[in-house]
Amino acid sequence: MRIQWLLATRYLRGRLRRSVLTTLAISFGVAILFGMNGLIPPMLEAFRHSMYTSAGQVDPTISSVSNGTFNQSVLNEVSSTAGVEQAAGYLAQTITLPTSLGGSSSNALSGVSSVNLTGIDPAAAQSTHAYSMLSGRFLSAEDTEAVVISQALAANLNLSVGDPLTLPATSGTAMLTIVGIMNVTSPTAVNQVLTPLPTAQSVLGAAGQINSIDVLFTASADRASVQAALAQRLGDTYKFGSVETGSEFTTALSLGSAIMWFFGIAALLMAAFIIFNTFRTLVAERQRDLGMLRAIGAKRSTLEGMILMESLLQGILGTAIGLVLGALLTIGMLRLMSSFIQSYLHASVGGPIFSPGTFVASILIGVGFTVASAYFPARSTLNVSPLEAMRPAVGTTENRRMHNRAWIGLGLIVVAGACLFLNNIGVTTLALLAFLVGLILVAPALVRPVAVVFSSLFGFIFPRENALARENISRQPGRAAITASSLMIGLALTIAIVGMVTSTRFGFMGYLDKSLGSDYIFMPTSLVLGNGNLGADPSLEQKVLQIDGVSEVTAVRLAYSQEDGNNLEVLGIDPTTFPTVSGLEFVHGDPQQSYAALAKGRSIIVNGIFSATYNVNTGDRITLKTPNGDQVYTVVAVAMDYLNAKLATGYISQTYLQKDFNVTNDVLILVNQSKNADKSKVLTALQEQAHNYPAFTLLNSAAFKQSQEQIFSMVMIGLYMMTIILTIPGLIAMANTMSINVIERTREIGMLRAGGATRGQIRRMILAESLMLSILGTLLGVAVGLFLSDFIIKAMVVKGFKLSFYFPTSGILIALVVGILVGVLASLAPARKAARTQIVEALRYE
Amino acid sequence: MAIIEVKQLSKTYGQGSAAVTALDGVNLAIEKGQFVTVMGPSGCGKSTLLHLIGGLDRPSAGSVFIEDKDISMLPDDKLTELRRRKMGFVFQFFNLIPVLSAEENAALPLILDGVKPEIAHTRAAEWLARNQMGDRLSHRPDQLSGGQQQRVAIARAMVADPLMLLADEPTGNLDSRASDDIAALLRHAVSDWGRTVLMVTHDPRIAAYADRIVFLKDGRVVDDTLLDGGKAENTRMLKEKVDRL
Amino acid sequence: MSVRHALLGLLSGEPRYGYELRAAFMELAGGAEAWEVKPAQIYTTLNRLVESGLAQKNSPDGDGTDEKVVYSLTAAGRSELERWLGEGTLDDPQQDTFFLKLMLSLELPGVEPARLIQTQRSTLYQELHRITSVRTRLNPKTELARILLMDKATMHLEADLHWLDMVEARLDEVKKQPVPRPAMRPRGRPAKS
Repeated sequence: MRIQWLLATRYLRGRLRRSVLTTLAISFGVAILFGMNGLIPPMLEAFRHSMYTSAGQVDPTISSVSNGTFNQSVLNEVSSTAGVEQAAGYLAQTITLPTSLGGSSSNALSGVSSVNLTGIDPAAAQSTHAYSMLSGRFLSAEDTEAVVISQALAANLNLSVGDPLTLPATSGTAMLTIVGIMNVTSPTAVNQVLTPLPTAQSVLGAAGQINSIDVLFTASADRASVQAALAQRLGDTYKFGSVETGSEFTTALSLGSAIMWFFGIAALLMAAFIIFNTFRTLVAERQRDLGMLRAIGAKRSTLEGMILMESLLQGILGTAIGLVLGALLTIGMLRLMSSFIQSYLHASVGGPIFSPGTFVASILIGVGFTVASAYFPARSTLNVSPLEAMRPAVGTTENRRMHNRAWIGLGLIVVAGACLFLNNIGVTTLALLAFLVGLILVAPALVRPVAVVFSSLFGFIFPRENALARENISRQPGRAAITASSLMIGLALTIAIVGMVTSTRFGFMGYLDKSLGSDYIFMPTSLVLGNGNLGADPSLEQKVLQIDGVSEVTAVRLAYSQEDGNNLEVLGIDPTTFPTVSGLEFVHGDPQQSYAALAKGRSIIVNGIFSATYNVNTGDRITLKTPNGDQVYTVVAVAMDYLNAKLATGYISQTYLQKDFNVTNDVLILVNQSKNADKSKVLTALQEQAHNYPAFTLLNSAAFKQSQEQIFSMVMIGLYMMTIILTIPGLIAMANTMSINVIERTREIGMLRAGGATRGQIRRMILAESLMLSILGTLLGVAVGLFLSDFIIKAMVVKGFKLSFYFPTSGILIALVVGILVGVLASLAPARKAARTQIVEALRYE
Repeated sequence: MAIIEVKQLSKTYGQGSAAVTALDGVNLAIEKGQFVTVMGPSGCGKSTLLHLIGGLDRPSAGSVFIEDKDISMLPDDKLTELRRRKMGFVFQFFNLIPVLSAEENAALPLILDGVKPEIAHTRAAEWLARNQMGDRLSHRPDQLSGGQQQRVAIARAMVADPLMLLADEPTGNLDSRASDDIAALLRHAVSDWGRTVLMVTHDPRIAAYADRIVFLKDGRVVDDTLLDGGKAENTRMLKEKVDRL
Repeated sequence: MSVRHALLGLLSGEPRYGYELRAAFMELAGGAEAWEVKPAQIYTTLNRLVESGLAQKNSPDGDGTDEKVVYSLTAAGRSELERWLGEGTLDDPQQDTFFLKLMLSLELPGVEPARLIQTQRSTLYQELHRITSVRTRLNPKTELARILLMDKATMHLEADLHWLDMVEARLDEVKKQPVPRPAMRPRGRPAKS
């Protein structure tokens, strides 16, 4: 034991700089892994929250089939069902504000004519929604006659904290005190008044009653089965409003968590690369000493013990530092991002969440991988005769093995590429793995060719140093490949993320434009159609149409149905007016023919989710359950619509919606104004109509689109930040490797200097090497990145989002720039150190 | 008694068309207390012979006997033990562990054998003193000249009280003065400390310190001379063989 | 040749007896092992010096026998000595016995040049070994001059061994070339044209 300890500690101390650098490398690896996995849960939570709260939706909302009120004891039944994390009861109703109490008359052009009174359980409500207060405070459990109102309402009625708000009540009037004014960005909660449930119950004369329950499932719950359990428990007098709304978010969420999981794996890979590379180098350097020790009679087991001890010491220290570093990194990142997230998503991001699993995994990987990376190469060194160890084998056998592996790798890559054309997600996943493995096998063989090509290019900048740099790199292609690979992963992710963002932006947002192509929208209370909206009779549409300056109007109607046991929304559109004001993004089928078909008979256009989830395609005949019995519809097209992108939806003509589903009320009205209309006059007229129909809110599409884009952008910024977290360590790892390279070649550099190389030439040589390595890493990264982007797009398509592959040109450009920057930056410190080498000392260095 | 004996020793590296025969059926016997040098042009196999005798590599054919025991049949652990206790090695470069002091380096074979550190260090210090390195016990290799490093290496080679010293171009890296010193030290090991020394060198001046020179060429023994005038056993047989050529 | 001049040198300090000169010369030259001269050779050389006028004989005892004669330097002898000391000295390395042997072996059947080289090599090594042993026994504090002479011998032996290696390496080429023969002029009268 003692000799191993002695040798291990001496080597660590004797090569102190080296030891520090290798320990740092381990720290980086562990920090990435630990930090990333601590970042993911809070990000996921914030994401989850933002999605829920911005839409004001949670997992299913339970309401009465009759849309009336029910006893709040039902709450207990719901909360006690397994899989339900939280159930919050609401009593909500729109109350007209009479002029005597400050409301504006229906003829007035401004002011408030009705308020949306919602009775809530303050604690429960806050767990499912995020309320941000502008002044005052939120409701608390002790409040009785208190209200919190929206800022728009406060502004309109000229109220502030402390003022009384009088509302009409079944008992006549109710005077409530304003305790807080909240900032509301959701377009659907403009005139919201929140009050404790008992108060609302008394105002509305509905003691002990609620009219909806917001349910929050636990994160791990299987939504379908929990909902089924609930349905069974409650019976069929209750309906689940926006059931698909819940699943809509879970689709987005599962996508989100898939991405996070992805980052987690990438972090793992990076950590592994960095650690492995560092220790490979160490053992190679130690080979001669190991051979010599064997020659003078050291047992193999003694030497294995020495290596184990050395790597264990470094592993433990490095991991400990890495854990601290990772935690700091995550806290820092979260702090940076929280202000963004707070202002745009109204979610507060908590501190990092490090589960015991994350700790264990990080420690296992950090220490375990370090030891393995040192131990296994050492074992193979020790297995050869001491003689071979002291005089390393000539390149021929090494080269042959490398070339064999490269051929296998190339084969894998070709196969993987071919698999891309089969649009099967399972095959594509395997293909991705095959591609990665193939690349790793091919990489060492690429080192020399890349070095040769770029050295001739570099000939202009580094006329004398490029040949030397090229040879230095080619000498150990395995090591060069691994160094480049750690950069590769970071860049590949950047490209993939940018690709995904670009595709999503163009694809997703593309149909946002289409869906909300009108100038104005009469939007129901909830963002997504459903949730028991009353709707308006066709007279609203008529009135709007009559407004001077309005050019086109189209309305959408809503019914629920089932197809083959699966729930779906059925939207009724006017096949003539709908395409002119709004429109669907057609994936399959011809728009003109499809709309015409809708008018002529029982034809249906289905959206992507419907098609993907229920395996329904153009030409299929599906049977829909209607109040008037089963009806068969023919699918004429598959198309996408922003508002219902995440729910299974079908579009039929309003005629048949009326015939089969008895629905005649409009739930969404889209309005276009003519080019030379008097905009303010039109707006005023529209607002007037909106007042008459308080179930609707008038939205300026442009403003709404902007708010949606903002949310989208913020999410993307979060993703970019995570990518940065991965790339920066790649940079540091490269700098680390270059430093180790330089240390190893101290003697050689001394000889070069002695032979007449200037400091500048040494610096340039190191720079050239670093650049070549980073170019290799960039090329690899671009290859993997392209593959990855395609993979991600395919994954999303499978889930039902229609996205097409947009070549991530900007991503590749970014990668190239970053690659070159990394190459330059990584070389700075090592190059300076190499140039400053004291010749005489260097020549004495062994 | 021949302390070292090799019979029909052969070693080939590589395979097929790239095969290189380093040794081709070498027969040799070395008596206890002899100072033998192996010489020859580059590629003649002299280092290979030394390495095979020292158990650093395994022969392709033939056997190596140390004290009448066939070592080519020994398992690796036993070979390692043999090297630790019966042999002392001195190489041309990379003799010493760079992160250990002179004393620690010299003590290595004993420490590796499990001897208590105090004892090991004492013996190491003794041997270093005998090599005129007594005042540099705590110096690290990079603080020592080439000649001084080789003295430490020799001390290390002696510390386990081995039967023989195997030196592979021990003066290859040294200037003539230091070379003479080291050669004299090796001579000392034979005449005063009673060891057997087998040395490989290409420097005639250093070879001259030995008792006997074995000349190798193309993996075979071409001559075997006792330097104080007599003829070694081998030589008679050789003469007959060569004259037949 | 150099014995003559060495004797002149030895006489430049003071006149000496013949036997004294012999002893002094051998001591100077590095001892009997290095350069053994017979007394006869000394006296012959001395007589020649006297004949050349570079030295002169005195016989204080008037005996006439060589041993009792005292020799001293003349003025001419002194100038000759100075001339010799002032110029460089070359011993002729081209008169090499082994070279003669090697050349003969190329011609004579039954003598293998390779064997010759190896034998010579062994011999040189044995000699080198001997010189080295002698040298190690000398005291550098008092016998440095002798040590230097040993060094010279060593270096020459090394050079010879080095040369042997070269010859051995190019032996095959040498064997292929014609052995040097003198151009023989035909004996007797030339044939009538």
